[in-house]
Amino acid sequence: AMKILNSSQLSSLPLQILLYVNGIYYVFYFLATLAMIIYKSQVFSYPDDFLAPDLAVLFLMAILEVPRLYLGFKGNLTEAEAPLGLSLGLTVGSVVLCVYLLLWQTYVLWADVLLNALLLAAYALESGLKVMAIAAFVS
Amino acid sequence: VAKLCVCDLLVAQCDVNCCCDPDCSAEDFSLFTTCSVPVVTGDSRLCSQKAAVYSLDVEANPPERIFNLIDQVNPSIFCIHATNYKQALYLKSPEIPTPENFDRLLEKYGGATFSAEPDSWNLDTDAQNPPDANETYRYEYGVPVQTEDAFLRLPSPVVSSWCSDENPAGFLVNQATKCIRAVSVEKCDSIRALSMLFYINSSILASVFQVNITVQSIIAQSLNGMRTLLDSSDVLRLPMVLGELCINAVLGVNYHITYTDTGEIIEAAAAFVLGAISKEALSIEQSFEISFTQENTQPVPLSGNPGYVVGLPVRAGFRPPGYPFPAEFLFAALALSSSKHSQLTILQSTSTQDCLAAQGARAPVLFGYNMISGCKLRISAAMKCQPLAQTLLDVLKGQSFPEYVASFGNSQAQDVLDWVPITQLHISEQIISNTLQSLCQIPVSLGIEVKWTKYGSLVNPQARIVNVTATVTTTTLKQLPSGRERIIPVTTSVVFTDISSPAEPGYKAWPTINIKLPFDFFYPFV
Repeated sequence: AMKILNSSQLSSLPLQILLYVNGIYYVFYFLATLAMIIYKSQVFSYPDDFLAPDLAVLFLMAILEVPRLYLGFKGNLTEAEAPLGLSLGLTVGSVVLCVYLLLWQTYVLWADVLLNALLLAAYALESGLKVMAIAAFVS
Repeated sequence: VAKLCVCDLLVAQCDVNCCCDPDCSAEDFSLFTTCSVPVVTGDSRLCSQKAAVYSLDVEANPPERIFNLIDQVNPSIFCIHATNYKQALYLKSPEIPTPENFDRLLEKYGGATFSAEPDSWNLDTDAQNPPDANETYRYEYGVPVQTEDAFLRLPSPVVSSWCSDENPAGFLVNQATKCIRAVSVEKCDSIRALSMLFYINSSILASVFQVNITVQSIIAQSLNGMRTLLDSSDVLRLPMVLGELCINAVLGVNYHITYTDTGEIIEAAAAFVLGAISKEALSIEQSFEISFTQENTQPVPLSGNPGYVVGLPVRAGFRPPGYPFPAEFLFAALALSSSKHSQLTILQSTSTQDCLAAQGARAPVLFGYNMISGCKLRISAAMKCQPLAQTLLDVLKGQSFPEYVASFGNSQAQDVLDWVPITQLHISEQIISNTLQSLCQIPVSLGIEVKWTKYGSLVNPQARIVNVTATVTTTTLKQLPSGRERIIPVTTSVVFTDISSPAEPGYKAWPTINIKLPFDFFYPFV
């Protein structure tokens, strides 16, 4: 019997790579942002009622990231569109929090701008790939 | 930024070498040598900001000022890109009083003092208020004495002479303060600080139970200053308005706190001075004092703790006869030098300088102060030798010359080894004379030499008396032909000599290295 050379794999390899890299980058991003908030609170005048929302947003984003990445991996590997769709929804939430840290934080340092811009770019690319993957799975 | 100028101090005049001064004209600029303020920028931590740069072009003739508005960039990666917090980079401007917030601001800032967090120390004592009442409450030196609501207050002047009620009394810190309080006769029964209740209201937290402050005595002071001790000190007298006066107002409080040797307070008493305030008085002076006494001891003024303090009297005493030496000393074996009788004293020089008339006037020997005093003795032929010698000895040594001197400033009577015996020496100036007349020796000088050493650690040495020698020098009195008089000077001196040995360093023991080979280290061979 002839081997089917044309593989019927629908899982998106670029999406998988991007999710993996995103996970590693996120750990670095979280630690760097936390360290910078601590640095800012020592060097600048950072009263408690401004410090609390910033820290809350950072930790909320970390909590959202874990299920988001897990669902993304699972959906892509099992070629199921439901987890991928859920992951896309969580991505929207993460994007909002990232935009907060980019624009509405109490002190936005240049390093903050770089880290957040990079993360936003990753999210955008990921969202695009997820949409394409869902389209491939559904059809 | 272009309009800011730090060196523009004179109004409407040109400041010298100030390149940003708008009052300067081109001719003024040509006279400058340098620019004292070359750059005016905002906060340099921002990523990009405007900067006004001023410089002088000395090449041109005449020199002219160059002004540039440039964008200064902070290359650091941690420069502030944006902030959403208005007061981040600016000083906070204070609240402007308006009719709405005036009362609140007055309450917060209107007193003589205010702190950044006015409620913080009240909250602290609430947290410390023992729900664990079983734990004994011990105080250390300097720790504020705690009461039910806050601390035991000793009102004292803070910045000005006005009384501030927030001064806590420290444990074992004897204090005496005086301050002025604003009063008005009409409202004198509502001013809390004038009533006795304010000072004895709260009870002191100490050991298992709380110690109430009892009223020890009440002294009433009349308007002309005369004081009488009132008999009944258990009746609480509150200030009242009586005609044009306000009576029973507190003019002074004297706290006496008794403590055990483990630092627990067992008793507290307050002695009040109550007085009357007349209508014209707008302020009165109140005086407060607190003293701490250890239980079962008499309050003896210490001359240092433990080493002698320069300027405090040297403590001395006697050993009552009949006590075996050294061990069986009972509690009050040595008479303490609180009474004038057994203090180390020397003759005090008087204006008349007559030895015989000066009996009785003695000055205490103060630690560290070398003293010399004297008098003149007038001898006539009629005076007999022996009584004269005895009188002079009394004049020199005083009525009760002590036998022991305390080694430390706080030596207790029970500790035998802390007391140094006074060595008595006699030196007689013998004049070898040809005659065989019986020679009369009279004492003419007493020299007390106190040898002391520094004791303890190098950074906080304590003075300790090691040796006291009292030397009486006698001289021969030649018989005078009758009718003639002679004047002999008699001197007393006290000298303090420092015989401290140089400090020795004390090192910790070298750490020992404890290496042992295991039992079977050389197994195959052993």
